[in-house]
Amino acid sequence: MAGRAALALSVAAAFPGPVSVRRAAGMAEDGHLEASSDGSGWLSSWLPAWCPTSLPHLKEAEEKILKCITSTYSKQYVFISNGNKIWTLTFSQDLSYKTPLVLLHGFGGGVGLWALNFEDLCENRTVYAFDLLGFGRSSRPQFDTDAEDAENQFLDAIEEWRQEVGLDRMILLGHNLGGFLAAAYSLKYPSRVKHLILVEPWGFPERPDNAEQERPIPIWIKALGAMLSPFNPLAGLRLAGPFGLSLVQRLRPDFKRKYSSMFDDNTVTEYIYHCNVQSPSGETAFKNMTVPYGWAKRPMLQRITHMHQDIPITVIYGARSCIDGNSGSTIQSLRPNSYVKTVAILGAGHYVYADQPEDFNQKVKEICDSVD
Amino acid sequence: MFDRERGWSVSFAGCGFLGVYHIGAASCLQERAPHLIRDARKIFGASAGALAGAVLVGGGSLAEACADVLGLAKEARKRSLGPLHPSFNVIKIIRDGLFKNLPENTHQLSSDKLCISLTRVSDGKNVLVSNFNSKEEIVQALICSSFVPIYCGIIPPSFRGVRYVDGGISDNLPQYESKNTITISPFSGECDICPKGNSANFHEMNVTNTSIQFSVGNLYRLTQALFPPEPKVLGEICEQGYSDALRFLKENDILSDSVFVDLSLTQRDPQELIEDINFAHKKTIPETKGTTEMLKAEMLNDQLKLNTWPLDERIFEHLPPRLRKALQEACKEKSGFYAQLSKLLPMRVMSYMILPYTLPVESAYSVALRLVDWFPDIPDDVQWMQGQLRRIASAVYSRARNKIFSTSSKESYTSLRKCQTLPPDVELHSSYCHSKVPHSSADLEGWLWDLPYCRDSAKQISTDIKGLSDLDSHPTFFLNSEESGLEMDFDSSSDKSFQTVSED
Repeated sequence: MAGRAALALSVAAAFPGPVSVRRAAGMAEDGHLEASSDGSGWLSSWLPAWCPTSLPHLKEAEEKILKCITSTYSKQYVFISNGNKIWTLTFSQDLSYKTPLVLLHGFGGGVGLWALNFEDLCENRTVYAFDLLGFGRSSRPQFDTDAEDAENQFLDAIEEWRQEVGLDRMILLGHNLGGFLAAAYSLKYPSRVKHLILVEPWGFPERPDNAEQERPIPIWIKALGAMLSPFNPLAGLRLAGPFGLSLVQRLRPDFKRKYSSMFDDNTVTEYIYHCNVQSPSGETAFKNMTVPYGWAKRPMLQRITHMHQDIPITVIYGARSCIDGNSGSTIQSLRPNSYVKTVAILGAGHYVYADQPEDFNQKVKEICDSVD
Repeated sequence: MFDRERGWSVSFAGCGFLGVYHIGAASCLQERAPHLIRDARKIFGASAGALAGAVLVGGGSLAEACADVLGLAKEARKRSLGPLHPSFNVIKIIRDGLFKNLPENTHQLSSDKLCISLTRVSDGKNVLVSNFNSKEEIVQALICSSFVPIYCGIIPPSFRGVRYVDGGISDNLPQYESKNTITISPFSGECDICPKGNSANFHEMNVTNTSIQFSVGNLYRLTQALFPPEPKVLGEICEQGYSDALRFLKENDILSDSVFVDLSLTQRDPQELIEDINFAHKKTIPETKGTTEMLKAEMLNDQLKLNTWPLDERIFEHLPPRLRKALQEACKEKSGFYAQLSKLLPMRVMSYMILPYTLPVESAYSVALRLVDWFPDIPDDVQWMQGQLRRIASAVYSRARNKIFSTSSKESYTSLRKCQTLPPDVELHSSYCHSKVPHSSADLEGWLWDLPYCRDSAKQISTDIKGLSDLDSHPTFFLNSEESGLEMDFDSSSDKSFQTVSED
């Protein structure tokens, strides 16, 4: 660790000009973020220098993405309690009788990832998309370490955002972690949700007990897994520092291909990089909500029976995804008297909306049209 | 569910020894949904996936292929250094196995259908080959697609006069992006047929189109791809391929034949299975072909039941009888006295102890053998190596010339970019790479050169700091680089300096 600190110092010493400018920029524009970052002071003090990122970087990357959207939209911060702010995109239509659609992104994402979907989805209804608390350009506060409290912090932010924006009821669509939160929100505030659309939701099934029974795995591999599990899921990305961006490009070249109809260059990977390499707030909360490897501490399938039975649910999953598509049928069996539908999208993986955007948009529009 | 008008394709991912997974999956498709293979437009494959695809559409026997792979794995495990032992000639074994397994008219059966992914050595681009004039050509293309550099050898094999290496290096899962491709991969990740891991982790990496979920199971699988586990474990992987394929067929309602009772997903003892088959046999009036198939299956089942199995019976129970038999036989341990003796710990320790003495002898012997094999190819290969050497020399020369004749420091910077980001023979694109495309190796430098943007965005910064940073960054950088005379290696040298610092 000391070696790494020395390393950071040497970086700062080697390139005094740019580094000092960059840090000053971060402080000036978002000083309160620096103040609210977690307690490990010496670490965060050199982190910005080691990772070539900052909120202006993220802003620039996001603007590059949104530039390609032809529909008219407005973007602004919505201020909620505790000095937090939620970055929101609004695609408004003058059809007030239609229930608006609210998009919740997944872990490590942001509003920019819906770039392929906005134009279709906002054709005949208002669409809102916002960065979840602790992700993207929204505030990154410190979350509670308890899984339930962290979850409630997320939900309160969503509820305060809804009040602030002034929505009465909404069609809530959530992907991955967003799906989990959307379901939890519907449990807590059932009167606000007209239809719940879960896209590849995370955190529904319980961790199987006999997970490791099927095939013996060598001890050294298990040990390696156990050694890595206390870290944040994306800690490696931050550790990689200036090489992080090329790491994302190397490990996830598929993102570039998914969005290739819109951008020929690395716009999306840059956006994802800058979204995730900032101080980990939502990421830490997510980590505290999981048990290894990737299972929810408070699985949604145990609670979904308590959901108000008038809320219809549609589960959309990619046929190729590694997240189990069976959650849909399980929800159906748990809610025998309610509307639950499962839609599989062929040729799509976990990022359904980017893998097969046409199919996805069409399905979502059908669902929305069935509401009103 | 699959679009019948537009057709569909099947794509097998490259995966080394985990190719037994493909054999399991392929035998399931062949048995349960033959139309899926018969009517598919193309069967794609890279590396081990191409081998499985070639056997599947080229009229080979999957059971025999399975036995071959297990034989190969046993061969690899036999020696103390595993597959890295010099006498383990994987290419030769694969070639012999293919010649034995594929029928003479295999090129007619698989032309225009089988599509093999290759990586061209000269530019690293992916090439898909789909028509073949002879069995030899198919085998040669498959060899090229399976040639993992260094692991399999140094000099890459050639197909129609062009040098190729493992297709997995450039495209491990061809046509992955298409909606109508059924993708098959032994790594759990985003594929149509793949093991569903017991991890809910959605983080994954994407290696030349193959998505690999970050999980303990996949890490283990990656180690198995080139260093094979015991035959029994490979048998389990094969069985997993079969049951994953069956699950895929069930989920998509493409199980073609309801006559066959479910042999696989239910766990029952062989006696019950046979009763089931008898029952199905009585109840339905199948076609004559189906009847004979079933009779054969019955006979095999009987046979297997009578045998005393050396291994855990439960494992292979799911597989079709013929494949199961092949696996059983491959897994049989040698029962001789020597085989038993060599498994004892002292014997194994001793074999490692005498390794320094035996290795040179064995190496010399195997080198001699390879030389004999190499004899017909020597002129070609030597010519190729000369060509490569000449190219390297000319690249070095042109770099040196660029460095010496560079006039101003500005220009030397542009040439620096050129050398780093593109291979030396593509020099026409200097304008392209000068634009702000972030190239991986130039990241650190790009970061440094982002300065103007940074200054724009931070309006609060007073002008004197601006001036200072201007003075600090550009001129010092160029001064330093000119003094050291190392413009071209700026990146790598800075990387090194990072490493040395972090080691302290």
